[in-house]
Amino acid sequence: MKIFFYYFQSAFKNIWREKWINLLTILSISIGLLILCAFALLSLNMDSVLRHWSKGFGIVVYLDEAISKQEEKDIENQFLNDPDIIKVNYISKEQALIDVRDTLGTDAVILDNIKENPLPSSFEIKLKNDLLNASYVKDKSSELRKMKSISEVQYGEQWLSSLNTISETMMTGAAILGFAIFIAVTFITYSTIKIFFYRRKDEVETLKLLGATKSFIRVPFLVEGLFIGVMGGILSSLTVFSAHSFATLRIAEFMPSIRSSLAILPYSAYIAIPVAGALMSLIGSYIAVGKIRY
Amino acid sequence: MIEFSRVTKYYDQEIVLKDITISIDKAEMVFLAGPSGAGKTTLLKLIYCAERPDEGKIVVAGWDVRTLKQRTIPFLRRNLGVVFQDFRLLKNKTVFDNIALALRIHDMHPAEIKEDVYEVLEDVKLAHKAQTYPPHLSGGEQQRVVIARAMVAKPTVLLADEPTGNLDSDTSFNIMNLFRDINTRGTTVMIATHNEGLFQGSGSRVIHLKENEIDMETVG
Repeated sequence: MKIFFYYFQSAFKNIWREKWINLLTILSISIGLLILCAFALLSLNMDSVLRHWSKGFGIVVYLDEAISKQEEKDIENQFLNDPDIIKVNYISKEQALIDVRDTLGTDAVILDNIKENPLPSSFEIKLKNDLLNASYVKDKSSELRKMKSISEVQYGEQWLSSLNTISETMMTGAAILGFAIFIAVTFITYSTIKIFFYRRKDEVETLKLLGATKSFIRVPFLVEGLFIGVMGGILSSLTVFSAHSFATLRIAEFMPSIRSSLAILPYSAYIAIPVAGALMSLIGSYIAVGKIRY
Repeated sequence: MIEFSRVTKYYDQEIVLKDITISIDKAEMVFLAGPSGAGKTTLLKLIYCAERPDEGKIVVAGWDVRTLKQRTIPFLRRNLGVVFQDFRLLKNKTVFDNIALALRIHDMHPAEIKEDVYEVLEDVKLAHKAQTYPPHLSGGEQQRVVIARAMVAKPTVLLADEPTGNLDSDTSFNIMNLFRDINTRGTTVMIATHNEGLFQGSGSRVIHLKENEIDMETVG
């Protein structure tokens, strides 16, 4: 226990002695983490928008002209028992015509000359949200097309593909940015601790000759790195929290309707940011101190 | 306490110690004499494991230095007190903290550290300089701080490399008295010096190194 007291005392004395470099490092780390938070917020909001759009996505299954009522019932039951499908809506030929008339409005007179209803009956089905990716929906449509008494299957292929592309791009961007920030924060701490280590090279050499173990020499540097990372993370968390609180207040004032659909960082993220900063800095410090040889 | 058996050491193919065999008993005081470049510092470095022998065997306080693992070296060094030629005092730490460092690595309680450091500072008559920083001390005072740091952890062996190198004769005399005191308390003391005046009339064993090998052994 006494040794831990020494580690912390030694680390904090050095932190205070090198306060300006430490302050700059903390600011650099907090900016890095802030960029990551901003991107996370952007991704969350994009994801929220995409989810909102996906709610309206459906597959329309057109039935053969000659289909019997019993066959329609069988197909509907098949859809209702499919675990991938969450909603099934039957649209009869008559209802389809009414819908077209409604859509056409005053132009619906053009339909008056048609003696026989040319529209087929259909089912509008909705798939589970997590299955809404282009390849799955394509496979599902092909599967439906092969069913008996089904003439055609339609869905917004292009639209779904674009939605997926946006989502995948955001995911890839987040992964690349996260990795870049990880490297940056680790490198920033590495450089700072490396400078401290060189500045205290005489002290390290003397400690080695006096019989200090590797951990006795290494731990104060790791504590310094940990402190820098945690402080950078806390600063970043506080900035995001303040910026978010300020932004939501202003938005509530001017655009109250948007407020409810805005995605926010979960409270656990405000803890996760300093923890992430601490971990990245700890790795940087560990590499900076390197192997200690006697 | 210290056994050298046919030890040879090279630096880049160049021989610096050749076929050294020495045996030093517990609580003995031994001088290692010889001109600069004779290999005195290297011999001390072999004892505290800053260098490893290329040939032969070294046993210090029961530890076989040649086969000692990296992680075990600190524990050997804790049995040794070393007075370095270049002092190795930390300029940004007070006299107290410089000496306390040797005890902190032993995970001692701060109250015990304080007590032991002041006790050793009394021995070297520097208690009043406890809060002074090394650059504000004279050469003799710095040397006494180094001796205090070397003896504070009560090592079994004390090694001193040219401990009076830059000091005037009065200060050198006082420093040598300190070493004799330490030796009478049961610590094995080994002093490397090129100054013959230090061991003349001491009654201690003197090992003379010449051209990287033992030339002769005399009594001072």
